[in-house]
Parts: sequence; C-alpha cells; structure tokens
Amino acid sequence: MSDFLSQYSIQRWLEACPQGYLDGTVYGYLPGQSEPEELLADEGMREQAISTTVQLVAGERAALAASSGLVNCAPDDASKLFLATQTLDEARHVEIFCQRLYDLGVKKEDLESTVARYANPNLVKFAEVLLAKVAAGDFIAGVVGQNIVLEGMAFSVFEMMEAGARQLNPKFAHTLTGTIADERRHVGFGENRIGSLIKQHPEKREEIEKMQEEMAYYMLAAFNDVFSNSPPPAAPSDAPEAEWHGVNLTAATPAQMEELLATTVIGEFKTRLNRIGLEYRQPKVPA
Amino acid sequence: MTPASAGDIELHDLRDQQFLDEVHSFQFWFDSVEGYLTDRPYGRDADVAVPVLEPELADRLVTTLCNYCLGETAALDGASSLVHDAPTRNAKIFLATQVADEARHLEVFRYRLGELGIADPEAEIERRGNQALVEFRGELLDMIAAGDWPAAVFAQNVVLETLEYTVFRFHADNADEVTRQMLRGVVADERRHSGFGENHLGRWLATEPSGRQRLQAVRQRLDPLVAAIFSGALDDIGFAPADRPPLARDYVEAIDRLGLTA
Repeated sequence: MSDFLSQYSIQRWLEACPQGYLDGTVYGYLPGQSEPEELLADEGMREQAISTTVQLVAGERAALAASSGLVNCAPDDASKLFLATQTLDEARHVEIFCQRLYDLGVKKEDLESTVARYANPNLVKFAEVLLAKVAAGDFIAGVVGQNIVLEGMAFSVFEMMEAGARQLNPKFAHTLTGTIADERRHVGFGENRIGSLIKQHPEKREEIEKMQEEMAYYMLAAFNDVFSNSPPPAAPSDAPEAEWHGVNLTAATPAQMEELLATTVIGEFKTRLNRIGLEYRQPKVPA
Repeated sequence: MTPASAGDIELHDLRDQQFLDEVHSFQFWFDSVEGYLTDRPYGRDADVAVPVLEPELADRLVTTLCNYCLGETAALDGASSLVHDAPTRNAKIFLATQVADEARHLEVFRYRLGELGIADPEAEIERRGNQALVEFRGELLDMIAAGDWPAAVFAQNVVLETLEYTVFRFHADNADEVTRQMLRGVVADERRHSGFGENHLGRWLATEPSGRQRLQAVRQRLDPLVAAIFSGALDDIGFAPADRPPLARDYVEAIDRLGLTA
C-alpha cells in the first residue's frame, strides 16, 4: 500500500499541478482568454451558462466538504496527505467556477442567491447522501461516495462539457481540462486505496452499495432535469462539430445527450466499483 | 501568476471585502507559496547535501521532528475539520489552502525522519510524542466537535500556529542546513495562518461583546499545555534551562494583539 500511496504525496501533487498543468493559468484558464462575446450578448445562452456553472459550483462545494471532512477520519498519514491535496483541489474548483459566474456577469453579492436559485434539488440530495456518511466519520463509505461516485460523475460530465466547449469556448474548455486532470487523480486514489479496505471490511458492502444506489438515483434525476425538463438551447447551425464517445454533441438532441451521459457514467461506475470489489446497483428510473 | 494577485497590487489599498477575497483565495496562496516551493523537493534546495549528524544530535532531532509531526497532524486534523464550519466561502477556501500547507509540513518532517533512519515514523511519533501536544489536539478537536468556531480558530490559528512559528523560527537558527531550509519554508506558512486567525478573530471580537471573555477562558485552559509544549521543545532541541530564550514572547504578543491578556 505504501508504494502506491507515495504516488499521491504532496511532493507529487506540487510537481504535477502547481508546477505542471496549472502553471501559467489564471483561475484555471490562460491569461487573455475570455467568455465568447456571442454568449455574453445572448441572454438565453448566458442564463443557460450560469445555470450549468451553478451545478458545477454545487458539486464542487459538496466535494470540498467531503474531502476536508474525510482527512480527520483517514486511517493513515499517507491517506490524510492525499486528501489534503484533494481538499485544496476542490477549493480551487469552487473558486474557478465561482469566477466563471462572475465572468458571466453575476455580481459578487448575488453569488449565493444565484446558487440557491439554480442549484438542482436532486444534485443537492445527491450531495446530502454523501455528506451524511462523512459526518458519521465513515471513511470507507465516504471515499467510495466521494472518489468513485461523485468524482466519477464529475469526470464524465467535465469531459463531455470540455468536448462541447473546445471550439466554441476555449476559455471554459481550458478551465475544465485542469479539473479533469484533478478528477482523474482523485478517482485513481479512490480505486487504489479503497479496494484493500473493502476486503478487510466485507460487512460494509451492503451499506455502501445502498449508498451508491441512492446517489445514482439522484444523479440520474438531476441529468433528467437538466436535459429534458430545461433543455439547453440548440447549438447554432454553423457551430463546429464536437464529438464525445462517438456522438456529435452539436447535432444530438437533449434526450440523446442525457442518454449518452447516463450510459457513460454508469458504465464507468460499474468498471470502477468492480475493481474495488463492489457491485453496481441500478436505481429505480427517476420519474 | 495572476494579474490581480500578490505581486501586482497593494493589498492594503483594497476595500475590506476585496482584501478578504484576495488574501483568502487559492490564487493568492498559489502565488505566495510559489517562491519557496518551486523546485524545492521536500522543502529544501535540490542540491543541498544531507549532513551526517553526531548520534546524540540525530536522536534529539528525531524526537524534535516526531513532535513537529504530532503538532502538524493536530493542525491538519484541525484545519480540515474547520472547513465545514467556516462561516464564509473565503474562509473555507483559505482553510483548504491551510489543509494542504499542514499536510506538506507533515510530509517534509516525515521525509527528514526517513533520512535520519526512522523506518516506521508513526510508531516513533507515538513513542516520543509530548503528552501536552496530544492533549492540545484533543482540546482542539473537542472545540470543533462542539461547533465552537471562534474557540477552535483561536486554538488552531492563533495558539498552535504562533507556538509552531516561534519554535520553528528559533530552531531554524540553530539547526543543520537541511533542517534549517525546511523550517524556514514552514515558518512562512505559519505566519500566513496566524494572520488569518488574528484578522478573523479581531473582526469577530469587534462585534461580539462577550467574545473576549470566552476566548480568555479558552486561553487559560490552554496556557499550561502551551508552557509544557514550549518546555518540551527546548528540551528536545537541547537547551539547558539557564540558556533558554524567551520563546513565549511571540505567543504573549499575539494574545495581546487580540486584547486577551488576563
């Protein structure tokens, strides 16, 4: 265990992040990059971008609360050290996505009311399931919920958004690239550290799988809300093609995008949960 | 690194909220630590030679570092637990940077223990740990568990950080080159952390009439532990009672700045 954990040290983190892919960035993007003028000028598109960014802020706030809360119940120093880097990563994500809200025209004094107005209630419930485990000091369930379920979801959502933004909004795409690199590291820690703990505590399986089922339910309900109940505006007809997992995101309908995202995230969950010795539990389909 | 950050603006020209937005941000942390962390593996210059110490000196250093690890673990557990209760987003983000700082300190001290031949640092820390530090950690975590944010910030960011700042700074002046470089980097962080504590509590005390009395009571409870920690640290570093520097001065000054002198 100690060998793999040495890959998650602060020293590695310093070399990979501040001195690596974040070097030269300002709030996650390159100096001089800005939100596209067309987006800022179109009220519908701007509001959609604010709403989307609020979901990212809400998710990252939950991740910040969870990772900081897990430091104190980590069973060894190496896990504490990794979770400390993750705490800082998540705080950075909160900061850069809040900064995007400001860049989109949200006033600083309106930040909390904007988050409260647009945060998806199912995403909030998703976070509450996880934070209940963290508050109870349950390290194994907390890391599965945080580093496999929440981070696994964020990883795919960010990848899809990055693919969609690469041509249309390089500033936002660059911001997402840094967060994707972080999420990859967090998921890797979760898979590597928790497998051995699940083996030592097989009695925890039932409870953790139940938590995963509940979180997956709220995640799918949030996807359904975002894509089907308040679908994003169609891309302009001259928008460049953006492909993700073989699907042209520019031409896909909201329902197709929801299906693609849900299938991808669940596929990833199955693979990752399997690696740590857990079975994916399919939740009831949200109404 | 960012145009609106440490090097390019005069912080004290900023309005109150702007000042807090700036100094408690990840970006500000990023700029602050860049100078002394970049290309400094485990907190020292890459090319500095690791000195061979006399056995007695090495053994004293091991005990000292074990207690530093204990203090940094308390600070890591404390800062991470405080993120949840922080009353503002700025405070949450600042505390997240502090979590990473404390973890970094723990890592560099453990690395140095490894260089001194300690194969199982956790067992060694357990064996050589100063009981007053263990009790201090317990007091701090109890305050956090009770949701007493001002008391916990006082214990963590004023008392513990000032204590560490004072001991590390003094030790750095009397240490081998590797330990000295390592400690100087840590001291720069501790100064930022105690600055947050004093600034935050100063604002709170200005609006909370009973606050001073509450924190004085906390101070009185912690004072005997602080004295025992200072004394233990000087024993470990190897100072005879007659030659001891007045280490408590920084601590008393920090308490005075908050108006908490009994």
